[in-house]
Amino acid sequence: MNKKQRKSEFNKYTTKDKAILYAGYVILGLFIAAIVVPVIYIILASFIDPVTLQNSGLTFDFSKWTITAYERVMGNDQIWTGFRNALIYSVLFTLISVIVTLLAAYPMSRADFKGRGFFNAIFVITMFFGGGLIPTYLLISRMHMLDTIWAILLPGAFSVWNMIIARTYYMGIPRDLQEAAEVDGATEMVYFFQILLPVCTPIIATIAMWQFVGMWNSYFDAMIYLNSASKQPLQLVLRSILIQNQPEPGMVSDMQSTAERAQLAELLKYATIIISSLPLMIMYPFFQKYFDSGIMAGAVKG
Amino acid sequence: MATVQLRNIMKVYPFVSGEQKKGKKKKTDEPEKKSNLQITDEGVVAVQAFDLDIADKEFIVLVGPSGCGKSTTLRMVAGLEEISGGELYIDGQLMNDKAPKDRDIAMVFQNYALYPHMSVYDNMAFSLKLRKVPKDEIDVKVREAAAILDITQYLERKPKALSGGQRQRVAIGRAIVRNPKVMLMDEPLSNLDAKLRNEMRAEILKLRQRIDTTFMYVTHDQTEAMTLGDRIVIMKDGYIQQIGTPQEVFNHPANLFVAGFIGMPVMNFFDAELKKDGNKYFVEVGGYRVELAPEKEKRLLANNVSSQPITLGVRPEHTDVGDSGVSAKVDVAEMMGSSVHLHVNANGKDVIIIVPTIDMESNYKFGDTVHFSFSGKVAHVFSKETSKNLEY
Repeated sequence: MNKKQRKSEFNKYTTKDKAILYAGYVILGLFIAAIVVPVIYIILASFIDPVTLQNSGLTFDFSKWTITAYERVMGNDQIWTGFRNALIYSVLFTLISVIVTLLAAYPMSRADFKGRGFFNAIFVITMFFGGGLIPTYLLISRMHMLDTIWAILLPGAFSVWNMIIARTYYMGIPRDLQEAAEVDGATEMVYFFQILLPVCTPIIATIAMWQFVGMWNSYFDAMIYLNSASKQPLQLVLRSILIQNQPEPGMVSDMQSTAERAQLAELLKYATIIISSLPLMIMYPFFQKYFDSGIMAGAVKG
Repeated sequence: MATVQLRNIMKVYPFVSGEQKKGKKKKTDEPEKKSNLQITDEGVVAVQAFDLDIADKEFIVLVGPSGCGKSTTLRMVAGLEEISGGELYIDGQLMNDKAPKDRDIAMVFQNYALYPHMSVYDNMAFSLKLRKVPKDEIDVKVREAAAILDITQYLERKPKALSGGQRQRVAIGRAIVRNPKVMLMDEPLSNLDAKLRNEMRAEILKLRQRIDTTFMYVTHDQTEAMTLGDRIVIMKDGYIQQIGTPQEVFNHPANLFVAGFIGMPVMNFFDAELKKDGNKYFVEVGGYRVELAPEKEKRLLANNVSSQPITLGVRPEHTDVGDSGVSAKVDVAEMMGSSVHLHVNANGKDVIIIVPTIDMESNYKFGDTVHFSFSGKVAHVFSKETSKNLEY
């Protein structure tokens, strides 16, 4: 549709429609601004000399720009330890969670699975009633998982919500496909791994993305269950920098005055936020290719 | 290549809890409707009393309207539906409880059911890989099947890059690479356009000569049934109505349903009177009297048929327009090329007559008066009470 056609399409709208459309654009614009402006501010601020930033705010005088904050953040061991831990936790958690969710969703998607209603009820109950923090802590403690990686990986690995989404996706796959596989000689396992999962890549990618991002951004479980500093994920390190305004001592110890320390601490916040967000930003385009809505094209008559 | 025997096969879909209540309510409220809906205390009956012997390398077509149980029967043979009653034998072996993979059958689905993430080659090779056939052998078989179906050039493509006709060829290819004992086809052409359907029909006929196996083919299209089948099984409401060669079911329909279902345009039916005069039988319809052919009289005599009101059936292609006979007014004349389908009204009754264009003396217009007649050789007499052909 060229510009002229678009204009003539637009002219078909009534004044009321146009007003609603414009109002929609304005509201959406505000939403976008509310997301984009802070991101841009943080990116720019992380590069600006802390004194300049505090005195005159953002500037495009590049002589006032610096990468000090990044140098200090990258040079800090605790950040790197947190980074490594977060990566390990996120990858393993995603792997375990996706496997458990996909396997649980399969029988729940089958109408011929006896006891489906019972298991469904069991699953759904957990969506409304949780164990609570203290009982969960006691459970983790009794299972000797405190201060171990398992305390982070196992309790949240199975998400009923994700299972329901995966189950619904499975149910949307034409039954003919399974019957064709059965006639071809496929067992239930062969069908699941060789036919069903490959056509479910969009939902697998979505669940994997949610779980990865969820784990990458989480700090609460780590705060409760992990005591050793060497096991803390990045978000916990970041939290102490952001919330408690306590940058790692090594990052600011060389500064002479308290004022300088405070200014640098502010700058470090921004740099840390950017560094911790980078992996997710880099990861997204790689996942995007799996969000292919046309994966089932050609399988059955549409 | 194998024989297939279906012995008193039955399929009942049990009620789910909600339906059962509904079914029970219906039972008390409308008891007479229960049998028409094929609802029993166990559930909805989709197929019953299905008896059929399929010879080795025979091409059997199951045909009937939607919901008649033809696909269910095929799926029971495939092992995709549990058999509620009766016995199924393939090559003499009882198959009721065998999994589809252990029946040595292949199936072509109406919706192709191709694996969308695999190439055409992998789609066709999948079943052979599962059977651990050596790679070289798989390659030979896939390429052979592809050559038969003329899809060699698409072997590396994904199904989404193929047209509907090509996808259906791949689906057929996937079935034939295994050289199955029985080839099952569930309305394989119904998703194709009319031209492609004609082409593929011819392809299936050629394929049949080449792969030489037993076929069970389901369709609702009587043209497909008539052109493809060695024998046709006509079904309605889960029951077999007639089994016979295309000629048999066309020329000697067992009942009113078969007579109306087979043939296009449909057979004309008239309320008539069958008269017996000694050993002679006549039909009187609208003041027109037709003497039945001797072979028909012989069969009626053998069945000891007496004078009675009947439904008379005459095919449009067996009805002649002439100077004498039943008088009628022309409603519509459809030009079909080699013939004209003349829709006429005779005493309030709609009748279709096929007039070959070569015999046409003039163009028929709305309101023209014509006279039509038919010979006693082509008249079919059906009982008013049972709808059965009185000759059989």
